[in-house]
Amino acid sequence: MRTLRLTLMYFRAYLRDRTAIFFSLVVPLMLLLIFGSLNLGAFGQVTVAIDDQADTAASQQFVAALQKIDTLSTKKESTDAALPRLKRTELDMLLVIPKDFAIAPTRAGQPVPTLTIFGNASRPQQVSVGESIVNEVVTRLSFAVNQAAPVVSVKEEEVQGVRLRYVDFLVPGILGVNVMQLAVFSVAFALVADKRRGVLRRIMATPLRPATFLVSQVVTRLIMATLQVLIMIGVAVFLFDVHPLGGILPLLLVCLLGSVLFLTIGFALAGWAETENQVPAIAQLITLPQFFFSGVFFSKEAAPALIRPLTDLLPLTYLNDALREISVQGATLWDVRMQLLGLVVWTAIGLALAVRFFRFDRF
Amino acid sequence: MSAIVTVRDLKKRYGDIEAVRGISFDVQQGEIFGLLGPNGAGKTTTVEILEGLRKADSGDAIVDGIDVQKQPARAKARVGVQLQQSAFPENFTAKETVELFALCYGVTVDPLALLKQVDLEDRAGQRQEKLSGGQRQRLSIATALVNKPRVLFLDEPTTGLDPQARRNLWELVRGIRQSGTTVFLTTHYMDEAEVLCDRVAVMDHGQIIAMDPPRALITALLGRGFTKPVIQQQANLEDVFLDLTGHELRED
Repeated sequence: MRTLRLTLMYFRAYLRDRTAIFFSLVVPLMLLLIFGSLNLGAFGQVTVAIDDQADTAASQQFVAALQKIDTLSTKKESTDAALPRLKRTELDMLLVIPKDFAIAPTRAGQPVPTLTIFGNASRPQQVSVGESIVNEVVTRLSFAVNQAAPVVSVKEEEVQGVRLRYVDFLVPGILGVNVMQLAVFSVAFALVADKRRGVLRRIMATPLRPATFLVSQVVTRLIMATLQVLIMIGVAVFLFDVHPLGGILPLLLVCLLGSVLFLTIGFALAGWAETENQVPAIAQLITLPQFFFSGVFFSKEAAPALIRPLTDLLPLTYLNDALREISVQGATLWDVRMQLLGLVVWTAIGLALAVRFFRFDRF
Repeated sequence: MSAIVTVRDLKKRYGDIEAVRGISFDVQQGEIFGLLGPNGAGKTTTVEILEGLRKADSGDAIVDGIDVQKQPARAKARVGVQLQQSAFPENFTAKETVELFALCYGVTVDPLALLKQVDLEDRAGQRQEKLSGGQRQRLSIATALVNKPRVLFLDEPTTGLDPQARRNLWELVRGIRQSGTTVFLTTHYMDEAEVLCDRVAVMDHGQIIAMDPPRALITALLGRGFTKPVIQQQANLEDVFLDLTGHELRED
């Protein structure tokens, strides 16, 4: 009861703190809105320029077949125009259809028309996907002409994740990174200031048990984290049409586990730091690598291979992986148990650090 | 009168520094007791041990019959505390700050009555961080009174206050003593100790070097043949200042 009332008092004070609200709610929303509306939607798409030099019925049939494929974003463009754009990496590939292009039966030994593909070397994955699609279309058209049944038929199954939009990928990462920021910064800044100004000392001069005080601080932040997560999911659902496949409740629960983890780190930092000036430096040192290597805005695979074994072990990597699997692949909490285990192990480490550094008898 | 605070052979060291070197004294119930001394004399350490905020290395500290070292939580419930720097959580109003501390002590209070007692009732809805230095010191005393303490510890309560606010605080302290609470204060303002304290202990280098009512200490000094090299004035600059600016408390 005392804990509850204390929590409500601190929560009310938190809501009045404009800076804290700005960083807890406004900044996360800005991140989501900015990155969500960036047209990185071509993430799963291959942009192809097609230079149809033949411009015959056969070539038009071929181009039409390519245009039907969702994965390709096609545009008719001359080679002269497309090559510079390819160099500027505005395109993934350029497909040149030669003048002698035809879809006709051929005899052995007779030369066949040759399609030329210019691939963007900096986007090898997209280029290889584009190439295999072009090959596939060529093969199908060949079958049609040869009147032969395909030796192998391919039944296309849509796999979730293949048509992943960037915003679908982004939302779990944004949830994870903001959970981290809120927990680390809100505790570290507020409590270092309270420590330095003697507020904690004054409270410790009352018979209040330190545990009661700590619980009120933790629960205040968990309520804020819940608000933050729900608002962000709301924006993702209603504005960006993102549908977390695994449900909102598992996402929230994983976010709260992540919050507890990063709160322990926030408390350890608050205990260690002497002044507020030390907080941003150390907090950035802790959070910045995770910002980039834990799969927030782009895949964690982007981290250099040399440090991947390490970045895979970062707390935010576990959190983002769990959130992404739930949101994008519809995983259950049981499916992501390994990631949850990772979070629990980190929480234990954080708790040990917090107990070591956040010492009430030293305030 | 009986002792409400008893200190026996109290010692505390920080590394190489002996902050408190085996001091002993009693504070009588109902008196205003002053612990005087220059900065670094060990005053704050002594007070913080009595408040249950620090552990002594050895010796006894008994407050209202409770051994502070053994039962700090019980002792904390019996005393009121104003620390040297009175700071409170931000984004709390004055009234909410009093309520917060009532909650910390597990007592129910009428926050407005307490604020009225320290002359802050018209600031009840104001954020505590927006209060002036003197107002914040009075709020600090209000929070120290929520548990109806047997002993009120004030650590340098008037440091940084203007003459009007100091006098206002002295009146407040006298009023608290009138209501039966023993007051234990530290200060390095001798005029403050002289007008306020029934008895003072002078501390230096971790030891108590004199303890008596202020008048007795002055008489003893004069008895040793001491004379001031300056002419006794009928008034001093502070009297001039107060005559010019009035005793009216300034807030903003």
